[in-house]
Amino acid sequence: MMNKTTKWILWSVLLVFLIIYPLVFGIYYTNVFVTFAIAALYAVAIQMLLGFTGFLSFGHAMYFGVGAYGTAIALVHIKGLPLIVSVLFGFASALLLALVMAPLVVRLSVTAFAMIHMAFGMLAYTLALKLRNITGGEDGIGAFPIPPLRIPGVFSIDMTDPTNFYYFAMVILGVSIWILWFVTKTPFGCLMVGIRDNANRIDYLGFKLPQTKAVLYLLVGGFAGIAGSIFALFQNLISAMELYIMHSFIQIMQIMVGGIGSFFGPILGAGVFAVLEELTSRYTQRVELVIGLILILVIMYFPTGLIGMYHHFKTRFFTRQAD
Amino acid sequence: MDATTAMYVAQGLHGLAYGMILFLVASGLTLIFGMMGILTLAHAAFFMLSAYFSYQVMQMTQNFWLALLIAPVVAGIVGVLCERFLIRRVHVMGHIGELILTVGISLVILDAVKAIWSTDSLYVDIPECLQGLVSIVGMEYPIYRLFIIGLALLVLIFMALILYKTRLGMIVRAAVSDADMVNALGINVPLVFMLVFGVGTWMAGVAGVAIAPILTVFPGLADQMGMDAYIIVVVGGFGSLSGAFLVSIIFGLLSSYGVQFVSQLAPILMFIFMAIVLVIKPVGIFGERE
Amino acid sequence: MLLDVKNLNTYYGDSHVLQDMSLTIAEGEIVALLGRNGMGKTTTMKSIIGLVKPKSGRVIYQGKDFTGREPYQVAKAGIGYVPEERRIFPNLSVLDNLKMGIKAGRAGKVQSKNRWDLDRIYEHFPVLKERSAQKGGTLSGGEQQMLAICRTLMGNPELLLVDEPTEGLSPILVKEVRDMLDDINKAGVPILLVEHNLKVAMSLASRVYLMGKAHLGFSGTVEELDANPEIRAKYLEV
Repeated sequence: MMNKTTKWILWSVLLVFLIIYPLVFGIYYTNVFVTFAIAALYAVAIQMLLGFTGFLSFGHAMYFGVGAYGTAIALVHIKGLPLIVSVLFGFASALLLALVMAPLVVRLSVTAFAMIHMAFGMLAYTLALKLRNITGGEDGIGAFPIPPLRIPGVFSIDMTDPTNFYYFAMVILGVSIWILWFVTKTPFGCLMVGIRDNANRIDYLGFKLPQTKAVLYLLVGGFAGIAGSIFALFQNLISAMELYIMHSFIQIMQIMVGGIGSFFGPILGAGVFAVLEELTSRYTQRVELVIGLILILVIMYFPTGLIGMYHHFKTRFFTRQAD
Repeated sequence: MDATTAMYVAQGLHGLAYGMILFLVASGLTLIFGMMGILTLAHAAFFMLSAYFSYQVMQMTQNFWLALLIAPVVAGIVGVLCERFLIRRVHVMGHIGELILTVGISLVILDAVKAIWSTDSLYVDIPECLQGLVSIVGMEYPIYRLFIIGLALLVLIFMALILYKTRLGMIVRAAVSDADMVNALGINVPLVFMLVFGVGTWMAGVAGVAIAPILTVFPGLADQMGMDAYIIVVVGGFGSLSGAFLVSIIFGLLSSYGVQFVSQLAPILMFIFMAIVLVIKPVGIFGERE
Repeated sequence: MLLDVKNLNTYYGDSHVLQDMSLTIAEGEIVALLGRNGMGKTTTMKSIIGLVKPKSGRVIYQGKDFTGREPYQVAKAGIGYVPEERRIFPNLSVLDNLKMGIKAGRAGKVQSKNRWDLDRIYEHFPVLKERSAQKGGTLSGGEQQMLAICRTLMGNPELLLVDEPTEGLSPILVKEVRDMLDDINKAGVPILLVEHNLKVAMSLASRVYLMGKAHLGFSGTVEELDANPEIRAKYLEV
């Protein structure tokens, strides 16, 4: 097992890497990294739902989208809105939506849960497309003011600068992922795993199953909203396309490629997808073909994902040593 | 008949024709997803593929009927191959495995189609004998729409006959409730699943050929139809053909009358209808199980 | 030996539910597989028919290896399986349920006087004829059990696996099912029987296997078991 010192060294290396990354790799790759980090938080949030409770959602793009629209619309309509507050607007909008949805969905079976999310997700997409005067339809909301991060009289950092934004995004996304990770370590997190493994038994133990699920559901919705909010700020644009059902599937695939049931797997999966998109769009026109083939190969030959492969090879390595 | 009534009837007919196309796609999906429990998101891709095949056959032979005969069968064969060599192997992993795999298959088909036929809209002509209008009790109807309605009804009857009058249908109905038991009675269930997958894909293929002359053939065809078909299967109730039929017709009518009255919000009507149904009855209108 | 099961090891996830399970069945006999609930009797049957895949061990039937094969392949080779809980197809008619048991190409292998077909089944069990148009799900428990056995008989098996046929039936029906199995055996079909009703099992079987937790505890003739109260106490009495 890793001891405490190695752990601290690893975390420090990661931190240093994150700090010097934009200085080393330049603006283009800094932006690629922000895109990846947003996807990572989004995937981690969905994995909380899928991996820890077994509930598959085909419509979580609506939380991402509502978070993004929440931030964008707030910035368009409220002059001088501070940056952090605009993110909170995104978080709150997603949370509000989750609050409305939760009572409807927490008692459903896995399949019905997935399908109802697909339905509501498509409803959200269509609404975003059609309610032009609010959402801007296909064009979306763009070119809204990005406020600087500032404490009056102390400092003011320009967020239109990609490097500055990178640091801001890393802090918000990093803290969000840490909060979610922390949740899995609490008794509540253990309860979630219990729900996945044996829903009935947990109910017998006297925990209120639907309520537990509802709390988790709010958490996941809210943090998907934060990912959306950062996305809107980063792109300075949010359109209905981000709510399309494919954007709900992509997270599930990232989770699957990374390794379902593990907390850090989705981050790995998001990373793989980021690299893949970067490479394929550079070397070939056939991005969809490559991603499609990779999905087929992964599910056929490595259904436990990268984390599963890692464990597989680790066990083999150690057994060989034991021989 | 006055002009307003005529307009209502005409819109109703459009809605009915569209609903029938939806039903063709959705009933295939009812077989595969609703009855055999295989979650396939590639269904719409096969629908689109068949439309492209029909374009190809039309290019080569100029014969619509030949296209209607060949394209869906070829699409069905592609479907069977996918089931046999890919989907079957991940079935044990449950819906997540099937979801990922079939999304992968869809993406590959989509890109292959773009590579072979480009992303342009391709035009397929309505055969001469189905062009023009026919007048019934003082009203003019486009013949091709009536043809679509008839074709869909024919496929429906064909499928009902297979399902309720043949041994294969009996096996399928038994497998819906207990596939393992059917297997233990000495019936090659994997083969039955493969056949059903083929028939379901063939039905989507028929719809693809039928719709090609109306919407033209383009890569986005799959998106438009696929989601609607899914929603129909879910709203109608898993594995319920009559549910799929009812909801297909409702969706068809909602979309054609919706365009007329609330144009902008027409697509939303469907989702609102679906949301209401699912909130009241999560298993769908005629659904008994989840 | 008609059926030779050697050292089966079967797992459900991490739990080792069958450990080195072995048994044999010869032509013509009825063999009972007994033991308390959860000892692995049903798993043994499912491992033979192929509904669960054993990790190791062999299932040899008529000299051929059927380990890990698909259930339909095992069934087509001549093993009939009557599952616990009957598993009637509830939405199919009684007639269709019976037809589901027909196996293409098998009837020809059986001598015509021993061949089970619809007429012979209706003759033996007239209640099924009366109810032939009714949905399987509407039958009573005893009728469903009868239907489940007959459904499997329609495939003219050369070996019958029957799991808990008298479970939940009234004493009169228990006797009826017992006699039915006896008749089937007398007509030449050997039977592997899982049965919690010791009286029924002992009256039918010539040999017994007793299962302890996941493994074989005792095997011998019915007389040996009868003369050995400690064994009965150890493996059967609750």
